[in-house]
Amino acid sequence: MTVVYAAMISIIAGAGIYMLLARNLVRMILGIALLAAGANVVIFLSGRLGSVAPPIIERGTEGLAQTAANSLPQALVLTAIVIGFALTAFAIALAVKAYSSFQTLDTAAMTAAEGEQG
Amino acid sequence: MPFEISLATILIVAFAGSIASFFILPRFGKLSGPVAALLPAGLFAAFIAYLPSLATDEQIVTHTQQVNWVPSIDVNLALRLDGFSMLFALLITGIAALVVLYAAAYYPDEKANERARFIAFILLFMSAMLGAVLSDNVIALFIFWEMTSLISFMLIGFKSTSAAARKAALQSLIITAGGGLALFGGLLIAGMEAGTFSLSAMTADPEGLAASPWFAIMVALILLGAFTKSAQFPFHFWLPNAMQAPTPASAYLHSATMVKLGIYLLARFDPVLSQSTTVLNIMLGFGLVTMLVAAYNAIRTDGLKSMLAYSTVASLGILVTLIALEGPGASIGVAGFILAHALYKAALFFSAGIVIHATGKPKVADVHGLLYVFPITAAATVLASLSMAGLPPFIGFIAKEYVIEAKLEASFVFLVTAATVVVNAVLVAVAGVLALKPFFTGPMLKKSDCIHGETFGMSAGPAVLAILGIALGVFADIPQFLIVGPAAIALNGEPFYVSFELWAGITPMLLLSILVVAVGGVFIWQWGRLRRLVAHLAPIEKLSAERGYYFLFDGLLALSKGTTRTVQNGSMRSYVVTTIGVVAVALIYGIVVGFAGTNGFGDVSALVTQPIRPYLLIVCLLVAASAVVASISRSLVVAVVAVGLLGYGIALVFLMNGAPDLALTQFSVETLFVVIVMAVLVKLPTIAIRRGDHGRFDFRPGDALLSIAFALTVFVVVLSIATKPFDLTVTQYFAERSLSDAFGRNVVNVILVDFRALDTLGEIAVVAFAAISVWGLLSIRKTALPETSGDSTVTMPSLIFVTTARFFFVIMIAVSIFVLFRGHNEPGGGFIGGLIASAGFAVLALALGVNFAQKRLWLHPIVVMGIGLVLAIVSGLPGAWLNGSFLTHQWGDLNLGFTSIKIGTTMIFDLGVFLTVLGGVLAFMVRVQQQNALVIHREKATAETGPTLQGVQQ
Amino acid sequence: MDLQTYNILVTIWPVLIPLALAAITACLWQSPTAQRAVGMIGLLALLGSSLALVDAVTRYDILAVEFGSWPVPFGISFVADRLSAAMVAIAATLAFCVGLYALCEMRRVHISGGFYPLFFGMVTGVNGAFLTGDIFNLYVWFEVMLVTSLGLLVLGKTKAQIDGAVKYAILNLIGTVFFLIAVGLLYGAAGTLAFADLARVLPTLDASPGLVATAVLFLCAFGIKAGFFPLFFWLPASYPTAPFAISAIFAGLLTKVGVYAAFRVFTLLFEVENSGIREIVAIVAAFTMVIGVMGAASQWSMRKILSFHIVSQIGYIMMGLAIATPLAMAGAVFYIIHHIIVKANLFLLAGVVRHASGSDDVRKSGGMLKTHPWLAVLFLIPALSLAGLPPLSGFWAKFLVIDASFKADMGWLAGVALFTGLLTLYSMMKIWMEAFWKAPAIERKAVRSVPTIMVAPVVILAAITVTIGFWAEPFIAYSQMASVTLTDPSVYVQAIFNNPIQVGRFNP
Repeated sequence: MTVVYAAMISIIAGAGIYMLLARNLVRMILGIALLAAGANVVIFLSGRLGSVAPPIIERGTEGLAQTAANSLPQALVLTAIVIGFALTAFAIALAVKAYSSFQTLDTAAMTAAEGEQG
Repeated sequence: MPFEISLATILIVAFAGSIASFFILPRFGKLSGPVAALLPAGLFAAFIAYLPSLATDEQIVTHTQQVNWVPSIDVNLALRLDGFSMLFALLITGIAALVVLYAAAYYPDEKANERARFIAFILLFMSAMLGAVLSDNVIALFIFWEMTSLISFMLIGFKSTSAAARKAALQSLIITAGGGLALFGGLLIAGMEAGTFSLSAMTADPEGLAASPWFAIMVALILLGAFTKSAQFPFHFWLPNAMQAPTPASAYLHSATMVKLGIYLLARFDPVLSQSTTVLNIMLGFGLVTMLVAAYNAIRTDGLKSMLAYSTVASLGILVTLIALEGPGASIGVAGFILAHALYKAALFFSAGIVIHATGKPKVADVHGLLYVFPITAAATVLASLSMAGLPPFIGFIAKEYVIEAKLEASFVFLVTAATVVVNAVLVAVAGVLALKPFFTGPMLKKSDCIHGETFGMSAGPAVLAILGIALGVFADIPQFLIVGPAAIALNGEPFYVSFELWAGITPMLLLSILVVAVGGVFIWQWGRLRRLVAHLAPIEKLSAERGYYFLFDGLLALSKGTTRTVQNGSMRSYVVTTIGVVAVALIYGIVVGFAGTNGFGDVSALVTQPIRPYLLIVCLLVAASAVVASISRSLVVAVVAVGLLGYGIALVFLMNGAPDLALTQFSVETLFVVIVMAVLVKLPTIAIRRGDHGRFDFRPGDALLSIAFALTVFVVVLSIATKPFDLTVTQYFAERSLSDAFGRNVVNVILVDFRALDTLGEIAVVAFAAISVWGLLSIRKTALPETSGDSTVTMPSLIFVTTARFFFVIMIAVSIFVLFRGHNEPGGGFIGGLIASAGFAVLALALGVNFAQKRLWLHPIVVMGIGLVLAIVSGLPGAWLNGSFLTHQWGDLNLGFTSIKIGTTMIFDLGVFLTVLGGVLAFMVRVQQQNALVIHREKATAETGPTLQGVQQ
Repeated sequence: MDLQTYNILVTIWPVLIPLALAAITACLWQSPTAQRAVGMIGLLALLGSSLALVDAVTRYDILAVEFGSWPVPFGISFVADRLSAAMVAIAATLAFCVGLYALCEMRRVHISGGFYPLFFGMVTGVNGAFLTGDIFNLYVWFEVMLVTSLGLLVLGKTKAQIDGAVKYAILNLIGTVFFLIAVGLLYGAAGTLAFADLARVLPTLDASPGLVATAVLFLCAFGIKAGFFPLFFWLPASYPTAPFAISAIFAGLLTKVGVYAAFRVFTLLFEVENSGIREIVAIVAAFTMVIGVMGAASQWSMRKILSFHIVSQIGYIMMGLAIATPLAMAGAVFYIIHHIIVKANLFLLAGVVRHASGSDDVRKSGGMLKTHPWLAVLFLIPALSLAGLPPLSGFWAKFLVIDASFKADMGWLAGVALFTGLLTLYSMMKIWMEAFWKAPAIERKAVRSVPTIMVAPVVILAAITVTIGFWAEPFIAYSQMASVTLTDPSVYVQAIFNNPIQVGRFNP
């Protein structure tokens, strides 16, 4: 399966990059969301996959079954998901604000910061 | 010697005094000149006290004193006073006293503050000069060197409102400070090669430096520094321009002292430089060219001060050639000429200043007949000019004798001698013109014709210097034994008998200087014709060094502007393309280099043998497909839906690989994300209406290529990592300790709230801060919305909906709390709980309006988050005190009679997470709702003609 | 309280205090005055505790704290060596000064926009990044820093700020995503996350495309954060748009966190010698210096000039990593300390100048030498220090890195640095001549006076600059000691694994 996951990740990443290269701000943000999702899968895959048993200690047993999935990457990804969500949400809000100040989502039309050079 | 004050004290007093003078001088008004003069006069006396100890030609006497400054990099104030430093010290302090008096009279009383500031700068400059000539540590020397450049900049631009003054100041700074940087490099190399920054140690073992591979570069850099400072061709032009400075400054910095610092450095490094004859010949060449160019310009120019400036440049050229020449005679020449030149040139500047000040006319041609108005000045000028012309019995004469003697020992005698004769003749002429034209020619003026008459303050300076010029000539053994002698010996490196006398018999030198005077006389007689003749040479101006400077400097600025416009062009797309391009290239580089290393992939055979799980494969395909759709569909709505699908697909992947918590979180977050984006998209342009954007697909070949390349690199990288063997130690530790030490069965949750609780703390902080940022970003003026807008959304919902909504709200809150507390052992936890709770509020808001929902929350959402954060932090504090470690969770048994549950601080922590997530999501929802309400409101207001949507596709 | 607890607390306070302040000021949402009061008190506490940390590391060299008392590499740990302690102390100093300045500049709109929680949140993120000993935790702090800085950037909600924020957001989000990917790959390769453990494991792994790519990916991610060439676009686009207090703290801290992270990762985890990364860094440093200073030379707005200077100065600091000798590392450490103070001060000064002359474009101002002579002096100190004029702090900083590059046979790099110094001097003197020397562009009848509370932080920072300049020895000695952990990772690793709380002295 590793190859499949790797391929999936690379396609997600490529798609994300492609969206980032667009000029529409919302599209770019979606691109970042894609990249972030890809990154999460990278971490998940980095812990090596294969087991289907969740890392939850059965009632009555003291330790985790050897067959259980790798717990650490799960925790990391969980953190990463939440952080990524918070940031993309802010980015969306920023896009809303940008639209109300520039009346467009075209990043090429946003030139207020560096209007006059030198 | 009881009278000798330690060198460090002298230096400290100098700096302290000059800095103090910035503040105290303005109080003294008229007296500020004399008061200020006390400092240099006192220092002068302090140095005089050292004179006797140096007055011997048996050995080289040096007083040294070490003051540690930055020992860890061998930068210290290693002070050293020998004959050569003494020569400079006396000139610096002595002339400073006269300059200060002069400046006091130069500035009228109404400009008292300006005058005080000017004098203070002069004193500060004097201190820096003293530091430079007293330090034996090259870095310390460089520090003072740069100080002089900076103060010179301040003084040249002292009339700061004059554009010309600012221009000249900047030019001199760029050249001298630029040369300074070169010098810095040279000195660092020298220090590196010599293993010390001590100047005397470096020059003690010149062979060592000469042997180093850096020698050429080092010498080049040092020469660059010295030539720029001492206005050697092709950097000479800044000096005449520097005449923008007030005359006292010109007299002090730009004739007597600062410009000689370069000479000082060359003289000090002479042992090293003379290791290679090429270097000496280069110096000789630059000196000669400088002399000739300066002489030419001295004839050409028409300003009193600029004439003096060019003659100064010529003299500096002479000094450089002298240093390039070997033998004790040269060192006498150097020492004697520095002394003589300082005396007469300062005097002439003073009198030129008086003339310009009194007539307001800066040009030679315009001034005449001032003899009766300024008798003292006239006399002083004549004496100084005679010394400059090198006539006996003036010290200038003696100095020139030795200069010529040294030249006669030069390798290319004829060339050098000829140049010397010509240039000196021109100097004679300049001296003559400056002495005769203003005072003795033309109709004689009365006091009433001038702005002011003779003043003691201004005329004292030139008078004193002029008299010194003749006195030291007549009683030549004073300089011979006390000043020039010790200096020459110190320069020469070993003691020798220094002869410095008026009458040395009929020598070739004498004959030559007679020739010089004769030619000079002819020049004076034919001055007008000479100038016209030179005027014919005007075309050379086209290739003057100054044009070269401006060509380079303006070119550099233009280049900067161009580069910046291209790089920082303000176009988002070019920024993103560059950034991603760089990363892609970097990844490719990494892969290539990595393959150059040993085996690229781990055990690849495993990839083939690995079983393919069909359902999972389908899910992955779905994910990939939705990614592609999202990227190429033109409609944003489609894109968002696709992204959402992709998220769900990934959640499935998590679920099918034993990560229920992850799946749960991914599902809820993805849902929330899609909902939010959709909510805002309602108000944003989702389809482009820009011409040429038709078709359902957004295809950009170039970008596609870059993306595919990127995807491929990612594939290789991920595969090469994931196929390597993996070390599970950390995970196994968690598996073993989770229940026994952290009392949790859900290992993932235990990691989140205990093993890696700090991550979670940071994570909820991110959520909180994101929400706060959005709250601030999307806030709207109270007046912008009617009070009721937040009450009920679009239409009045049905009663059933309202009641069911309230019912669902209660249920969901209950569920959320249940999920929160079971999380430690089963899938769930604070984050999921918080999401469910906020979903409950969302339902409420949907039914009864956001305001109602907010009221149900009792507190401001931001405050809720604040409390959540506080709880999370507090939950860690007990550990900090009990176990001495933050976030070490404490546990206790809560006995309920029938059963006992483990209660731990982790619960407080998880509750904190719960509240933060709840508050954050609510804050976000409120703002988004308000924005939409605002747009609806506006659209209503603007009669169904909202803002024209011009969102674009790519 | 026993020594161990004390050492633990001084190590975690620099993060806990600002985080708590952020939480409390959030609770005090409705009352700006209360936020101000709590804020200033808290900043003093932060300053005190940070200095205590510096004092502690000078006694115990390396302090390590394991959160939840889970041993490295299983739990997350904070590690304070001389470098991180210095960074924390400077950050606290800066936060205090900017806090003072903000009392005057931040209007109600800013505070109701959440200035205080975000400000403290940013400090939390910065200090967390300086102190953490865990790569994933570093990612978390980076994100805290990013989101809070974005929030601060848009406080004023002007068009320019929104535009700047969009560029800042997109480019930095790209940066953090790549950083996250790199972290994931690193975990996949080494199976552990703690710096110390990674430093132990990574050398045992053989080079693979994945590993080298991970290294360069880190370099890119930090490059975006730190503003290396050609990844700095977001910086000149966004910094000049923010309020002065905010751009000052940004200028001082944000890019330095990227630099700091680069130094940590490329000294502890990947040494720069192998895989040609060293050469890349050297070339990048050179370009960063030159392109940055060229940008500065071509601008007329004070804040734009300064923003480009941030870039070029980052180049100087990168020289240290490129050369990687103890002297170079010490130089880099000293350079960071000096630069943070000076650059932040210049941004605050830009604010004061703007306040006094009414314009940020130096061409439009003028005559301030007459009207505000004290301001002229206050400007010259950091300006000349930035240009590296002796004997101010910048001179020693340049001295160290340039001397180091000569000694490492990289004379060309030294040449570039010297040339950059000349253009730096030019651009500073340009400000001086336009704003202070030349006659005012618009004649004003009344001289605009500057409130004391606005000048106070400028004076404090200028005083620090002068102190470092004239009393450089202790600072240089400290930097040399700090370079030990950078040049010899084993010291760091042993410190963590042998005795988490304190280790014996070592000599550089």
